[in-house]
Amino acid sequence: MENLKRRHPPQQKISSYSPPPPYSDIYESVSLNGDNCSGTYSTKEKSHRIYKDSQFSSRALYFLREYKHTIIAITLTAISLWTRFRKIDVSDIVVWDEAHFGKFGSFYLKNEFYFDVHPPLGKMLVGLSGYLAGYNGSFGFDSGKHYPPEVNFKFMRLFNATWGALLVPLAYLTATQFKMSQKASLLAATMVLADTAYLCISRFILLDSMLLFFTCLSLFTLSVFHNLQDQSFSKSWWLWLVLTGLSLGCVLSVKWVGLFAVALVGLYTAEDLWEKLGDVQMPKKKYMGHWIARIICLIVIPAIVYLASFKVHFAILRKSGPGDGQMSSLFQAQLEGNSLSKNPLEVAFGSNVTIKNVAYGGGLLHSHPHLYPSGSTQQQITCYHHKDPNNEWGIAEPRYEENQDVPEVDGIRYLKDGDVVRLVHLATGRNLHTHPIAAPITSSHWEVSGYGNASMGDIQDNWKIEIVKDLTHNDKNHLRSLSTRFRLRNVQLGCLLGSHNTILPQWGYKQYEVYCDKRNQTDNDKTLWNIEEHKNEKLPKPPKNTYKSKFLDDFIQLNVAMWTSNNALIPDPDKEDILASTPLQWPFVSIGLRMCGWGDKQFKFYLLGNPIVWWLSSGSLVAFSLLYSFYSIRAQRQINDMKPEKSENFFYVGKTLFLGWFLHYAPFFIMGRVTYLHHYFPSLYFSIFMAPFLLDHLTAKASARTQNLVFGAVFTAVIGTFIYFAPFAYGMMGPISSYAGRRWLTKWNLLDTF
Amino acid sequence: MTDPALRKRRNYDENSLQNGSGINVDDYTDDTKKVNVSNLSPSKYSHLIGLSIVTIAGFFVTFYKIWYPAEVVFDEVHFGKFAGYYLRRTYFFDVHPPLAKMMLAAVGYMVGYDGHFEFDNIGDSYIENNVPYIALRALPASLNVFCIALMYSIMKESGYSVCTCFLTASLYLLDNAIVAQHRLIMLDSMLIFFMLATVYSYIRFRKVRHQEFSATWWAWLLATGVTMALTLSVKMVGLFLVAAIGICVIVDLWDLLDIKRGISIDHFIKHFYARALGLIAVPAFIYMFWFYVHFAILVESGPGDTFMSSAFQETLKNSAIKMKSLDIHYNDDIRLMHKDTEKYLHSHDLEYPLRYDDGRISSQGQQVTAITVPDDNSWWRIKPTKEISEDEPVPIIHGDIVQLEHVGTETILLTHDVASPLMSTNEEVTTVDLDERYNETLFQVLFDDHNNGDIWQTYMKAVRLVHMDTKVAIWTHPKNLPDWGLGHQEVNGNKNLMDKSNYWVATEIDGLNATEINLEKKKEIKTIPFIFKFVELLGRMLSHNSGLTKPHPYQSNAISWPLLSRGISYWSKDDTKEQIYMTGNVFGWYLSMVGTIIYTGAIIIDTICRRRDVAWIEEPLRRRLIQSAGFFILLWLLHYIPFFAMGRALFLHHYLPAAACNYLLLGAVFQYLFITSVDSPTSDLRRNQSALEEIHPVGPAHAQTSTQAQPTTKTYIIATIILALQFACFVFLSPLTYGSPGLSIDEVQRRKVFSGWDLQFAK
Repeated sequence: MENLKRRHPPQQKISSYSPPPPYSDIYESVSLNGDNCSGTYSTKEKSHRIYKDSQFSSRALYFLREYKHTIIAITLTAISLWTRFRKIDVSDIVVWDEAHFGKFGSFYLKNEFYFDVHPPLGKMLVGLSGYLAGYNGSFGFDSGKHYPPEVNFKFMRLFNATWGALLVPLAYLTATQFKMSQKASLLAATMVLADTAYLCISRFILLDSMLLFFTCLSLFTLSVFHNLQDQSFSKSWWLWLVLTGLSLGCVLSVKWVGLFAVALVGLYTAEDLWEKLGDVQMPKKKYMGHWIARIICLIVIPAIVYLASFKVHFAILRKSGPGDGQMSSLFQAQLEGNSLSKNPLEVAFGSNVTIKNVAYGGGLLHSHPHLYPSGSTQQQITCYHHKDPNNEWGIAEPRYEENQDVPEVDGIRYLKDGDVVRLVHLATGRNLHTHPIAAPITSSHWEVSGYGNASMGDIQDNWKIEIVKDLTHNDKNHLRSLSTRFRLRNVQLGCLLGSHNTILPQWGYKQYEVYCDKRNQTDNDKTLWNIEEHKNEKLPKPPKNTYKSKFLDDFIQLNVAMWTSNNALIPDPDKEDILASTPLQWPFVSIGLRMCGWGDKQFKFYLLGNPIVWWLSSGSLVAFSLLYSFYSIRAQRQINDMKPEKSENFFYVGKTLFLGWFLHYAPFFIMGRVTYLHHYFPSLYFSIFMAPFLLDHLTAKASARTQNLVFGAVFTAVIGTFIYFAPFAYGMMGPISSYAGRRWLTKWNLLDTF
Repeated sequence: MTDPALRKRRNYDENSLQNGSGINVDDYTDDTKKVNVSNLSPSKYSHLIGLSIVTIAGFFVTFYKIWYPAEVVFDEVHFGKFAGYYLRRTYFFDVHPPLAKMMLAAVGYMVGYDGHFEFDNIGDSYIENNVPYIALRALPASLNVFCIALMYSIMKESGYSVCTCFLTASLYLLDNAIVAQHRLIMLDSMLIFFMLATVYSYIRFRKVRHQEFSATWWAWLLATGVTMALTLSVKMVGLFLVAAIGICVIVDLWDLLDIKRGISIDHFIKHFYARALGLIAVPAFIYMFWFYVHFAILVESGPGDTFMSSAFQETLKNSAIKMKSLDIHYNDDIRLMHKDTEKYLHSHDLEYPLRYDDGRISSQGQQVTAITVPDDNSWWRIKPTKEISEDEPVPIIHGDIVQLEHVGTETILLTHDVASPLMSTNEEVTTVDLDERYNETLFQVLFDDHNNGDIWQTYMKAVRLVHMDTKVAIWTHPKNLPDWGLGHQEVNGNKNLMDKSNYWVATEIDGLNATEINLEKKKEIKTIPFIFKFVELLGRMLSHNSGLTKPHPYQSNAISWPLLSRGISYWSKDDTKEQIYMTGNVFGWYLSMVGTIIYTGAIIIDTICRRRDVAWIEEPLRRRLIQSAGFFILLWLLHYIPFFAMGRALFLHHYLPAAACNYLLLGAVFQYLFITSVDSPTSDLRRNQSALEEIHPVGPAHAQTSTQAQPTTKTYIIATIILALQFACFVFLSPLTYGSPGLSIDEVQRRKVFSGWDLQFAK
């Protein structure tokens, strides 16, 4: 049996210089007692299954040991729930980003399609909490408004806080999995419990508590999986691998920062597989098995979870809503209550239309009475997702040259492939126009502008319709709304009207750039358009048509739109966002965040980490780096300070934590988007572990007295500052000046004065 | 599991074990007894011939028609102009460090050029303007010839055969991009020359590593440091080279630290300090030295003034800012200009409407706005809040608390906790009658940079006006008020006191003509310590460099460079249909990419095989691939990858240093593929043996065991084919490189290898 092979001899001698970690020798008896473990267990019990300890001959003692662990976890959960739940409804106004996420949750209850930059899982859970609270989705969640009596916001907040509360037992269990001592494990849990920032962010209707929970769950499942290394392909090995995959899928489906957790597990797995590759004894088949297991559990399962969250998202949001514009015209047409199904089928001269770019993330052709600041300085043409009257274009007769025959117009003239038209922006009367002037951003293309009016203009206002394909009809001669995809070629310059996800600066209101593409590429989606809305009273009503869009297309479309919008959240140089902060400020606790108005007569919440917890965490990261270099240099000189298995665990845990912190933190430096304090929270979790871990490591050789002294001091400091700063998270009433003493750093904008 | 390869690997392990050396310690186990130096002599001779041929060929290729076009080409606009500024000793600002431009200026000085020409537009004639452009171009062109020699020498010193060395240098020589770039007045030739010199010096340094602390060892260490500093003094991308050398040195030191090397810690620390001195202290000193020269030459005020702080500008002769500056005293009437938007603080006899369109309510106080052209309503009187002497004017210093009186309406500036017309987050700014609401009319004057006792002066000092009562700064932003505000720009109180756009500059004092007063006074020129100037300039260079985000029609993405999908149109002439289009030798660049892929693939496969105890590549050959070719690929990566993270506008010519490194790598891969035998050690001298013993031939007894790689006929044939194709491609594209002869539409179309090449006259 493969799983009987073990790294350590069964009777591991406990090293003389260190107190025995509670379960340092847990692996030895597992398989032998494997038959005891049949039957059904809850997940938590299963995690304890591996703790069985053969050293305890008496079953009673053994159960006491097991009981002790469970009771600690349960006690921690209880304390944690109490801290999270207490006074949760003290402020009955919509606080901070509740305005967003509460609103998004409401859309699920109303089944209306909305758009947001985050994946749907977290918001669906918010929706679920609203559903359980009996809320019907009618409240608008305007920032700072009082909750009406029919909205049971307390329940919704409790629901959210539960996820946040579960971080504490998870931290404890993870620490024991990292083979930290009892004291250190408790300290890790206490630091998570006593962090005011975690407390504060968990108590409102936000996504962060779920994000944190799933991130921590991923670390926990990974740590259990790691300890099952020696029982490859056993039942529990599979279970924890699958659980790791599931939690990765969940964290990814809450926010995209989950990718960093995926990266952490990915790097761990890569190193693991590399180690196994070096094991020449391992049969090739088994090695392949390791690969396949990880591909299935760590790639396929998370992908399925992510896709499934979108599948449910689309299934729930079946009605037309404010997010329609981000999606393809076909998708919109299938939403209940959408006006697109009333479109007359074939487009004719004189029709009023909106024109949608077909490429993933494409918007509606748009113009507004603002001018390009450079180039031609004519009226701007952009692409925009929001639906407003500025998206409407009239299809008019082209400009004719003097000697050209003007065709007779009698009645309705349907548009055909190759027809030349002029597109008139209805709100301003300008014509869609292009000229050999470089586009504002993509200077290799021509600029497109709004020019002239009904009487004034030139031949560069003429666009030829080139039908590329029709999704529902085989005939490519007629231009139908929604289904026909066509290009617009400028007759004079021969370039193609195009748009892409490049965002104009503030003068263009961050809308998308529109240009005329000189390259004449026939396989480019960016120059492909379809008619979205179509109005023409002269035309007959459309036949009953059921449009079906493909799930995968919608999925990609939505993800591209999320990606583009996320990138558009760049800092606006014209105005300083008072809430925003830079990554460098985070680990030093040099910034706090006001979560609501700062009036004397309202509860004020100040999002700020427990300084002792944060400074300890950041400091221990530096300490670990130094220690790592120190041990590496010593090793290079062949001086070994630790026993091999000790040192293996030290480097595995330290590396995992440091890498977890780094992967969740460093990317924010190169991200162009606005960053806020709460972006540091997942990263913080990893660094929090580092402090007890190093304390454990450094005091290993010390006497029990010294250990108690050191840990006692840290416990006191952490809990003391927590109690001192707790009002920040529980809400402060009355003038803020009475809390002036708590402004330890002048950089904290707790008070208005400097 | 008992295949022969495995056994082979085991042998190597045993060998290295016997010698007591780790994997990275290239001790050349099997060479100790069988080096054949006599075998090297003829190849040394042939090396000399090979080197001479490529260098002479390089001279002709580079200097061919160097006088054409006699017009300003592309970035000569900048660098020619900058050289001129040195000759006129006029202060200018550029994002690049000064060395290369000073070299150009030195050439200009030697041929008697006075720097009068402004190099304003591409296409301006040099002949009409009497510019010695051939001499200026001769400098980068000559350095390119040296580059070719260095390419050859680097390969030679790395122990590659004559055939490989010759091929590598020739491929580099026949690259259109390099030829086009290096015969014009630009900085890249200097950059690549110093970069290759650094690589050469470092390889020489590595080769004498067993003669620790000898004179030669020190010489090559210092040479590495000096050339590295010179590279950095040409362009900031020299930092990539510093990173590459830094990584190599760290790896080297790490190996020295290995206890199996038997070096004591004291000895190791000696090694460490030697490198710190040679590769950090000396380069830093040289780098700063060029800036010292830079400041010493540029003493006149010029176009670079405005980029610097006012303290800096005071050190220049005739600086405009100094001529315009006057001390500001209490009760002076001044104009205040917002530094970012260049609008003047203004007020007029109109009030804020009680109710705005969005339903918010104002105080109905007098409007305070900002306007483009100052008028009579833009005078503000600085009123004291403390007792001042009546006899003589009292100047205003940093931290003074003042009131600002609007002279036109005789009202006092005030701000209060009422939302501004356009931004509900900011405070409304208005004015009230004299002596009303005194506490709300107090503002503190805070300078941007201040030393004790500095006086507020027009133009010299930017100030923030911070409201004492509510702690907001008077601020304006480019949003205009509706018709009721005459379309003026809104002014409001900004709660973010640290905002960079809070600064205002006093531009004028009513009734005083700054120029006249200053002419009479004839101010002395101040000096500030060099180190402050250096730090300031460095900071501005860096921030300006990252600010170069304005799109350029010929910019390109880093990903497109090795694929050569886009070039840069440098120059064109309509009547003769001639043009210079900067683009690489398509054949050479793609071959380089293939070389890189083969190298990466081979190393990856071998690493995986070794993990399974199979030596796919023999150990000595692997060492060669890791240490020599690995150095080249490290150079290539570090000169290329960082561009992906750069936000600024990027151009194809940023890739040229990486392209040069890629040719070195290609040479190494060629040797690996087509000269299969293992090479002799690259280090001439081993440790614990004196130099004399080494130079003498060991004797004929070991001749047959020589490890000198011998190219076969096949090798020569393949090298010839590669060279021929490179040459053909070079000649084919050469009209675009040399700017002559002119091409017909048809000929241009044929040279449009990729659709992204936006050649002129293609239609």
